[in-house]
Amino acid sequence: MRSLIRSSVFAALSLCAALPARATTTVEFWHAMSGALGERVDELADRFNKSQSDYAVRAIAKGGYDDVVNSMIAAYRAKQQPAIVQVNERGFLTMLNSNAIMLTAELMAGAGYKIDWSNFIAPVATYYTQNGAMMAMPFNSSTPILFYNVDHFKAAGFDAPAATWPDFEAQLYAISQKGISKCAMVYPADWEWSFLENYSAIEDQPYATKKNGFDGLDAEYVFNKTRLVGHMGRVKKWLDDRILELAGQGINPGQLFIGGQCSTVINSTAAHAAVEAGAKFKWSATLLPVEADSPKKNSTIGGAALWTLKGKSSEDYKAVAAFYNFLAKTDTQVWWHQATGYVPVTHAAYEAAKSQGYYKDHPTREIAVQQLNRGTPNDNSRGFRLGNSAQANIAIKDEILAGLLGQKPIQKAIDDAAARGNEVLRQFEKVNAGRK
Amino acid sequence: MPAASDAAALDGAAEPKRPSLAARVLTRSGGRRDERGLKQSHFENAGLACVLLLPQLGVLLLFFFIPAVRALIQAFQLVDPFGGSVQWVGLDNLLALFRSAPYWASVQATIVFTAAFAVVTLGVALLFAFAAHHVLRGQNAYKTLILVPYAIAPAIAGIMWGFLFNPNVGPIAYLIHAAGFAWDPLRYAGHAMTLVVLASAWKQVSYCFLFLFAGLLAVPRSILEAAAVDGAGPVRRFVSVALPMLTPTLFFLFVVNLVYGLFETFAVVDATTKGGPAGATTILVYKVYLDGFVSLDLGSSAAQSLILMTLALALTFVQFRFIEQRVRYSV
Repeated sequence: MRSLIRSSVFAALSLCAALPARATTTVEFWHAMSGALGERVDELADRFNKSQSDYAVRAIAKGGYDDVVNSMIAAYRAKQQPAIVQVNERGFLTMLNSNAIMLTAELMAGAGYKIDWSNFIAPVATYYTQNGAMMAMPFNSSTPILFYNVDHFKAAGFDAPAATWPDFEAQLYAISQKGISKCAMVYPADWEWSFLENYSAIEDQPYATKKNGFDGLDAEYVFNKTRLVGHMGRVKKWLDDRILELAGQGINPGQLFIGGQCSTVINSTAAHAAVEAGAKFKWSATLLPVEADSPKKNSTIGGAALWTLKGKSSEDYKAVAAFYNFLAKTDTQVWWHQATGYVPVTHAAYEAAKSQGYYKDHPTREIAVQQLNRGTPNDNSRGFRLGNSAQANIAIKDEILAGLLGQKPIQKAIDDAAARGNEVLRQFEKVNAGRK
Repeated sequence: MPAASDAAALDGAAEPKRPSLAARVLTRSGGRRDERGLKQSHFENAGLACVLLLPQLGVLLLFFFIPAVRALIQAFQLVDPFGGSVQWVGLDNLLALFRSAPYWASVQATIVFTAAFAVVTLGVALLFAFAAHHVLRGQNAYKTLILVPYAIAPAIAGIMWGFLFNPNVGPIAYLIHAAGFAWDPLRYAGHAMTLVVLASAWKQVSYCFLFLFAGLLAVPRSILEAAAVDGAGPVRRFVSVALPMLTPTLFFLFVVNLVYGLFETFAVVDATTKGGPAGATTILVYKVYLDGFVSLDLGSSAAQSLILMTLALALTFVQFRFIEQRVRYSV
């Protein structure tokens, strides 16, 4: 009994001793990063927690982007929400109109931090900016690039992928016909992003009216009347001719490239970490192909931003602001860029990585930045601000895929896709009209 | 099985129409026949019974009734997922469904899926039950093997089937290709539907097998022996003697399979095809999930649940009123 008392006194004392060492304010950060990227997020939180002693961030993985949004909404309705939540770029308008968020620019100004928002690269800044103010904290940004198997291209007699779609197509057919690979290209998992949105941005084609939604909730999808239809016809031909293969459920298309089965894959630049770790052949990456007469606009970003949720204490928001300030620092950005493959979101971070000579050793890491910074973003390439984008994309993908797989003519499929997408937009408009 | 026929013989005088063992299992929930048993063992103290029922009722209230009522309400609302704005829209959500081509495509996919699933499951289970009944050595080993899939989580089963039949990396798909068939569930709607039906049926065969095997054991040996003496072979005995006696069980399992196919196959679809290609395997219950949890269109999702709920009630009604009352086979 005595030993029990002694040990509990000892435990209580050691607990007291441990307490002051803990940070005073801890905020939760719900994110959607898994695998190696999840570990990097933990490391990021750890770096922040060690950089000062007033605040701490606890990073909690909640599954994929959809899972994070679902958990966040459930938590918000139950008033158990985290302070920081990572929402993918297409959730922008949903978050902005949710009435559940604190605007990042106001949060930072209120906490006395001066962040030079003009330092953020244009495709990132314009995506998350409204009326000149940053709405969410840019976090992980990427853009699709073309990864290719150098050995396969060499075997077919090519040095590198061609710059235009028609020439690139000829190369894919050659690789296939010479029997070098049964899968010249694998169908991307997030093809709505690379095949539809980025194609439209790079070729300067409108995706939706009202400047792709930037000018109002009454925007309508118009991609069924642009050059995108021709591009989809080309994709259908590749699928029919078995130049392009579908990976299938539960199989990451990127993995079929890394495994050496597929000669090329259009994938996020954030796939670098996995390719570098897994590919047992000589690989490289390059810019996405363009049309022969292409205006070569910038590509658009994917990825996510951090949103600050309402309903927390002012101490919590100080912690959040400190964390965002830490994120915006050039050192943090450079580390994050190199550790994950995501692009540096500030000019300063890009310059710093460049002056370190990082791109001399890792030339493919620079492609995404170059592609994002190509030209000046215009109405067609600034990005997309469309309501319930995740929902619309399910309908759009289903319809276009039905056309690609031959269930209906491709033009009709794309028309149906736009029509169903527009239903979603009208629904979003209606929900938000009822908010006032 | 002697026990069943003995019981039938003993009770024969008092109750001439005694159902088979399997049919009696079924009537337990039907109520009427078990009144005597109920009276013998019911609680004298109603208060205690209530207290003992409370935890179960609490669980039902929390996980069934409250969500059901909320779904009912939400079906007539247009809500912003964060709960910030609520508009009453009357029947708009339901009417939008009836106008929606994808919804009707989903209804069609569900009819095909459920019918194919019920038929395949029952057919295979019947075949296994017949075969296992005739195996003399190692019957238990066969029974165990057939029952194993039931213990596997649907999500795991779905992933496994999706992988084995994946046209790029699946070993079984490789064999099918080698046999000269262009198997590709990623491109062809029919192949995808076949895959989902097989993956779902594979799990449910165990359950049906159990009932059918028990039903076969309950067929009086004397009748089978009499048929054998008359020169009927094993197949003839099965088709002409055992199968008619199994009809109550088959009807019961058919309804159970319909309900299972309609409501419990979410996990398999999610893990195998995610409703694709191009929505070809998006059955109704999966569409509820897609629209509600991925698209956050809570009103439409709730309206769809309402329709499914009505369907479930109708099927339960059919099961209780039609099947358990009318289809009864006595020995």
